[in-house]
Amino acid sequence: MRSADMGLVARPARAVRTLRLSPFTLTIPASALLIIFFTIPVLVLLLRSVLEPEPGLGNYAALLGSTTYLRIFSNTFIVSAVVTLVTLAIGFPVAWTLALLPPFAGQLVFGIILLSMWTNLLVRTYAWMVLLQRTGIINKTLMGLGLISEPLPLVNNLTGVTIGMTYIMLPFVILPLYGVVRKIDGSILQAAALCGATRFQALRLVFLPLVQPGLVAGGLMVFVMSLGYFITPALLGGTANMMLAELITQFVQSLVNWGMGGAAALVLLTVTLALYALQLRLFGTAGLGGR
Amino acid sequence: MLLHWNGLGWWRWCLVATTAAVACFLLLPIVFIAALSFGSSQWLIFPPPDWTLRWYQELLADPRWLESAWTSLKIALVVSALSVFVGTIAAFGLVRGAFPARNALKAFFLTPMILPVVVLAVALYAFFLRIGLDGTITGFVVAHLVVALPYSILAIGGALEGFDKSIEDAAILCGAAPLEAALRVTVPAIANGLFSAAVFSFLASWDEVVVAIFMASPTLQTLPVKIWATLRQDLTPVVAAASTILIVFTLALMLVVALVRKVAKST
Repeated sequence: MRSADMGLVARPARAVRTLRLSPFTLTIPASALLIIFFTIPVLVLLLRSVLEPEPGLGNYAALLGSTTYLRIFSNTFIVSAVVTLVTLAIGFPVAWTLALLPPFAGQLVFGIILLSMWTNLLVRTYAWMVLLQRTGIINKTLMGLGLISEPLPLVNNLTGVTIGMTYIMLPFVILPLYGVVRKIDGSILQAAALCGATRFQALRLVFLPLVQPGLVAGGLMVFVMSLGYFITPALLGGTANMMLAELITQFVQSLVNWGMGGAAALVLLTVTLALYALQLRLFGTAGLGGR
Repeated sequence: MLLHWNGLGWWRWCLVATTAAVACFLLLPIVFIAALSFGSSQWLIFPPPDWTLRWYQELLADPRWLESAWTSLKIALVVSALSVFVGTIAAFGLVRGAFPARNALKAFFLTPMILPVVVLAVALYAFFLRIGLDGTITGFVVAHLVVALPYSILAIGGALEGFDKSIEDAAILCGAAPLEAALRVTVPAIANGLFSAAVFSFLASWDEVVVAIFMASPTLQTLPVKIWATLRQDLTPVVAAASTILIVFTLALMLVVALVRKVAKST
């Protein structure tokens, strides 16, 4: 069937046709690219943290000895932890429902999730800046309902960052959890019912333990991604509520202090890699990260 | 019982209500921004006092917006092509190889996806400042290629793992050279994976902000950098107009991907 168009394709030159490359040789271009433009620059940046302005651990002492920086670390961890818990709490019922919905409704919800996930990050963050502002629709609605008399400060603080990050991380929890729930054999739950378990018992003793690996994996992934997030915290948090990624860029761009920038980057990298190693140990697979 | 509607009792209404609420939550900002981009309020007040196309006119009248969009498109297309090319070669090596460090290499290829992108951005910025690539198209392309390559390797590697190598071997037995068999038998068979790799790589570059902020110069900006720089100053509705156009592009791309998948399935 294909022979007709095969004849139209020019045959590669003889030298090319007989060329035979070992599989390892084939991986060299990609390896070279990543080593030159990824591994070496990152290592150099980390090295500068112990070499600039003078050799030693001075940058780390400054970073861990200042309450300003420690507050940035704690901000980062608290926001990431809250975002992780909230996305899991909301994402699990949605993933569960998706496994039950009839095809049309299911596809509709999937379409919405994908649209939100594929929309440019800046567009989504901008939308939340507008929604959450003092005269934004959320404050107006709450005031219109008489629930509040003064506009709530929802943006330029950690509340805004948490709302925006939850919005962005939700799809990363829902999609993998949906895969986990779909794979669960319904007859196990039937068996629980036949043995006299109430719905709540079946949920706590059978369903949740089966979903647990998915919850842990999804939670770890969201936590790690949140720790290193830059754009959303920078725009929704304002200058007074910095997170770790923004601190790194501040050191480098505004203060031109490469030593401190490298030190902060090393802290972020260490935590990320440690959690990633934990994930690999627990599940043996790589989670799909994001920005 | 918990995985059937009938066994759920009143729980099912809680589940449906939560899902409906989350769907609204996910949709709300997107619909809202699209609506406000036609509103006349400079301060993006909702509901808008009047409707207007003013922000779209301002957007199109400013050559810097179009320029940055064009720059983004050029970079994303080149990155997509290079990423598929390098990714295909690497995926062949990884899937077909039996060398000792294979799994370590696989993990290495995925690291740019796992590490916080801000670290890569800062590190490459320092490197490019030194070798004079900062603020150049080449710098952008190389930086985005690092970000996009893991997606490519994953998508193509996955397709290649699902392909039965004995078909390629049969072609070789019938007299095809190894490369010829790979190009004419295997590559068409994994076209689906190549397409996904191209789309993911394109989006990885087109939507990328963090690295781009560091690669950009006053004269060379991508669209996300332009939006970022504008947002740092004020919340102008012009950004809402640009956002709406981007959302329409996203929808169109989703439709194309869905259609291609459907066609690929039916043949």
